[in-house]
Amino acid sequence: MAEAHNRRRFAPHATCALVAAIVGSAWLAPGSAAATHPTERAIVRIQNHAQRGDWYAPWSASAPRQSVGSGFVVEGGLVMTNAHVVSDTRMLLIHVNGDPRPHEARVRWVGHDCDLALIEPLEPDLLDGVTPLRFGGMPKLGSSVETYGYPSGGQRISSTRGIVSRIEMNLFSHSGLDYHLTVQTDAAINPGNSGGPVLQGGRVVGVAFQAATALENVGFFIPTEVVRHFLEDVEDGHHAGYPALGVTTSNLENPAARRRAGLAADESGVRVDFVFPDGASEGLLQPGDVILELDGHDIANDGTIREGDIRLHFGVLLDRHQVGDVAHTRVLRAGEHLDVRVRMTTYPPLARYANTFDTLPRYYVYAGLVFVPFDREIMKTNGKNWMSKADKHLLYEFFHRFMDEPESMQREPVLLLRRLDHPANANMAWHRNLIVDKVNGQTIDRLEDVIEAIETNQQTHHEFEFEYFGRFGVLERDAAERGHAEVLERYAVPEDRRL
Amino acid sequence: MSHRLAPRLAVTVLLALAGAANAAASFDEQVVALSVTFQTWNEGRPWTKNNPARRLASAVVVEGPLLLTRAQIVSNATLIHVERRGDARPWSARVAHVDREIDLALLEVEDPTFFEGLEPVRLASSVPTEGSVTSVRWNERQLEVGNSRVSKIEVATNRYGNVEHHYLLVRTDLEGGGWAEPAFRKRKLIGLTASQENLSARLLPVEIIAAYLERVRAPGGYRGFPYLEVVWQNNQDRALTGFLGLPGEPRGVLIRATRRGGSTCGALRPRDILIELDGHAIDAIGNITHPRYGQVHFTQIAVEGKLPGDRVSARVWRDGREIDLEIVLRTYPSEARLIPWRRDGAAPAYFVAGGLIFRALDGPFLRTWGSNWAESAPSELVTRYHLQAHAQAPERRRLMIVSSVLPDRYNLGYHGVARRIVESVNGQAVNSVEDIAAAFAAPEGEFHVVRLAPNSEFRELVLDATEFETASKRILEAYDVPAPMRGSQTPLPDLGPACDS
Repeated sequence: MAEAHNRRRFAPHATCALVAAIVGSAWLAPGSAAATHPTERAIVRIQNHAQRGDWYAPWSASAPRQSVGSGFVVEGGLVMTNAHVVSDTRMLLIHVNGDPRPHEARVRWVGHDCDLALIEPLEPDLLDGVTPLRFGGMPKLGSSVETYGYPSGGQRISSTRGIVSRIEMNLFSHSGLDYHLTVQTDAAINPGNSGGPVLQGGRVVGVAFQAATALENVGFFIPTEVVRHFLEDVEDGHHAGYPALGVTTSNLENPAARRRAGLAADESGVRVDFVFPDGASEGLLQPGDVILELDGHDIANDGTIREGDIRLHFGVLLDRHQVGDVAHTRVLRAGEHLDVRVRMTTYPPLARYANTFDTLPRYYVYAGLVFVPFDREIMKTNGKNWMSKADKHLLYEFFHRFMDEPESMQREPVLLLRRLDHPANANMAWHRNLIVDKVNGQTIDRLEDVIEAIETNQQTHHEFEFEYFGRFGVLERDAAERGHAEVLERYAVPEDRRL
Repeated sequence: MSHRLAPRLAVTVLLALAGAANAAASFDEQVVALSVTFQTWNEGRPWTKNNPARRLASAVVVEGPLLLTRAQIVSNATLIHVERRGDARPWSARVAHVDREIDLALLEVEDPTFFEGLEPVRLASSVPTEGSVTSVRWNERQLEVGNSRVSKIEVATNRYGNVEHHYLLVRTDLEGGGWAEPAFRKRKLIGLTASQENLSARLLPVEIIAAYLERVRAPGGYRGFPYLEVVWQNNQDRALTGFLGLPGEPRGVLIRATRRGGSTCGALRPRDILIELDGHAIDAIGNITHPRYGQVHFTQIAVEGKLPGDRVSARVWRDGREIDLEIVLRTYPSEARLIPWRRDGAAPAYFVAGGLIFRALDGPFLRTWGSNWAESAPSELVTRYHLQAHAQAPERRRLMIVSSVLPDRYNLGYHGVARRIVESVNGQAVNSVEDIAAAFAAPEGEFHVVRLAPNSEFRELVLDATEFETASKRILEAYDVPAPMRGSQTPLPDLGPACDS
C-alpha cells in the first residue's frame, strides 16, 4: 500500500523470520570469554511465557507459549530487547549473566512498529551492579561487528563476529507492515539472538532482530537511530510510534514523466500519487505534486537521498521525526515551487494491516453469529498462506478496496466471521467470512454499529446485508433473542462481546 | 461456418437416411481415433505461440458423413489426424463446426473415401438413469471396450462453458479417459466422456448431442443453446421466506443478481423468489422434478429442448405477491463477460506502444499461472476476476492491462511495470486494443499518459509523444515483434439494456 515513507506498507511475502527461539534445538553456543567481562555481564537472557488471543474463537485464548530471547542493560535499570521477545507476555523472566536465579520482570515500554521494548526487573536494585551498555553510531559498511546473545535458548552467552554488508530500509516482520532503517550483517543471528546487542568498539550499534529466511548467513539489526527514536518517543511517558506523511509516491525516472511534471533539467523528485483521506497531508499535498526536497535534502528521481557515502530511501528522513513534528517539503505544483509544511500524525486506519499484540480481539456474538473487526489477524485465520488462499473478496477488501474507494479507509470493516450453529441461525445461507454492509438498514462503520443496530431493532426480523455478490440473510428476532443466551452457554462463550 | 455447412448437410442427411436401415454396426465401424496437434498462444508475448503439443482422443461417425467429438479436443488445433480401424494411415480432418459453450464439434475428413466401411452411430433417445453403459476407444490400434456403471445425473457446466445442463456420471473401468470416449447402450450412443477423474467420468449426454446435430443441420443456420444466466441461492431459510412474506413452506430459489446480456436480465430482480419456471415447481434447493432424471437443478429447463429466442414462463414472489412473467432465453457467450474466460482459440489481441504491451485481461492470460492461478496470479487481477468477471457494460467492455514492458531507454523507469489494469490512455477510456491505438494517436500535448488503476505503484506512465514512433519501431525490431498490433478478432455481443431499466 503506502510507500515506505509512510513507514508502513504491505509486505506480500515477508522474507524475514523473527529470531526469538520458540523451542531450543541443539545449537552450538560456545561460551566466549569469562562471564565477568563487563560487556557480557550486561547481556541478559529473557524468557517469555506468552499467551495470545484466538482470533477465530475470540472469546478464548490460545495455549501459552514459551520463548527465549536476549536483551541488554541500559541506563535507568532497564533492559532493552525486541518487542517480539516480550509480546503478549503473561510471565516474563530475566536471567542475568552469571546469576543462576531467574528474576521476574515487566514490560515498561514496547514499540511493536519498531520491534523494540524496554523491560524492568521487579526487584528495583537487581541491575545495580551491572554497567549499562552505551550506544554508538551507525557502523560503516564493511566494518566488523559482534553480536551477543543466547541463540536457540542456550543457557550460556554466545558471541559471533561479522561484517556490515548493507544499510537500507527494510520490512520489520514483527508488525508485518513497518519499514525502517536496518543493517544487514553476516554475523550469525539465530533464534534466541533477538534483542541482543550488536557491538562495535565496545558501543552498541544495534539490536539484533531478524534473519532473512531466503538467504544464508544474513541477519539484520536495528541501528541506533531507530533505537534512539524509540527512546525519545517514550521520554514523555507515552509511546506514540512513527508519524506518517500520508501519501504514496512514485518515482520519476522517465525523462518524459519529469518534463510533464514540469521539472527543470537539474531538478529531481517523486510524484505524489495518492493522498490518504484525513491523513497528515490532506489539503496540503495533491496527487500530481512533485516532492523535490524533504527537510532540506534533495530527493532523487528514484526516491532516494544522499546520506554520506550511501543512498537511502527518503522515508528515512521521516523516520527521524516524532509524531507531531513538521516535515518541510519543497513541492512543484503546476509549474510553481511551493514550501509545504506537513505536521505529521499517525494514521490509525493502517493499524488493521499490522499484526496485533498485547490486546485481545474485539468481538460480538449475537444468536451464534460471530462479528469481528476485519483486520490482519482475521486474515491470518485463513492459514499461513492467507495472502493467496483467503477468500478473494476478503483479499480485495484487505488489499485493494481502499485504493478504489479511499473513503472506505475511515471505516472499521466488520466481518461476520462464522456461525455457532443453533436452530435460530442454522438455515442462514451465508454465514462465513462476509463483510457486513448493513444491519437492519443501518450502515456498519465499526463493530459497535452492529450491536446498536441489533439492540435497537423493533422489527420482526434482523436483516444482514453483506458486501459483494448481493448476499444477505435474516434472523427471526424472537428466536434470536431466545437463542442468544443458549448459544453462549452451549459453545462455552463466557461473554457475548469484548469491545 | 454454419452458414456454409448447413445447405450441404441438408443434402447429405437425405443420402444418409437412405442407407440408414443397416443392421447395428460394430463399434470399430463407428468409433475413430483422433490425433490433434495443437498450439496455444504465448499470452505474455502474444505475437508468438507456445510449443505445439498433441492430444489423442476419440470421435464417432455421424451422418453427413462427419465426425463428432468435443470442442475442447480440437481447440487450438494446427493439425487433425484421424485413424480408422485396420488402417495405419492417418487421414487429415478439419473442423466443420464447433460450439464451445456446450463443447461439441464436427469434423470433415478431406478425403471422403475415409468413410468407406464406416457407419454412423445411432443415437439413443435419452441417457439411462441406472445400469451399465459400454465405453469404447482405440488404444494403440486396438479397440478397447470398457464397462461403466451409471451413478447419477447431475446438472452442471462444463469447465469452459456457461451452459448448465445434465451430465451422466458413471464409474468406469476404462483408465485415463476423459478424451471424448463414446459410451453406448444397446449399440446406441449415450454420450461422450467430458471429463474423468480416476475412474469417475462425466458423460456429455446424448440429448445435448442430438439437439446439437439437429441445430447444426437446421435450415435457418445454427442458433446455439440458451442459458439462464442468473445468480441464485437456496431458499431453505424459514426466517428469510418469512421476512420476504412468502406463505407456506420455503420453496423456490432466491435471486441475487442478473447479468446484463443474460436471459433473466430485466425479467428477474434481486430478492425475487423464483417459484416456477416453464410450469415446473422449483423447490427450496433449486431442484425440479424432471420426468426422466428426477431431481435436477431448475437451470436444466432453460436448455432442454429450448432455442435462443424461446420464451419461458416464470412465477416469482416479489414485493409480497406472486406475479407471472416471461423470460426470453438468450445465449450468454464468454464475450459477454467483462473478463472472458475463454477466447475460443482466437489469437490474443495486443498493442505494443513504446514497449508497453497492452492487452485485455482474460481467462487464457490468467491461466498462464497454471491450474492454481487463483492463488498464484497477482491478487489485483484475481480479485477483479472474482468480483467483476461478468460486469460488462457498454461503457466498460473489457479490462485492459499493461501485461509487461519491453525495456528500452524510451520507457526507462517503467521496466518493472507488469500486470497493471489500465484506467485510461491520454484521457480516453479504453475497452480494446483498437481504443488504445486510437488514444495513442491523440497525445496530451507532448506526452502520452497511460493512467493505471490505483495501487501502491505507478498511478500513471508518461511517455514522450514526439519520440513515440521512432522508439516504438526500435523496440519492435529489438525484441523481434513482427507487428505492433493484432486487432480483436471476436465481435462483442449486443448486451441489451441494463437489467434495472
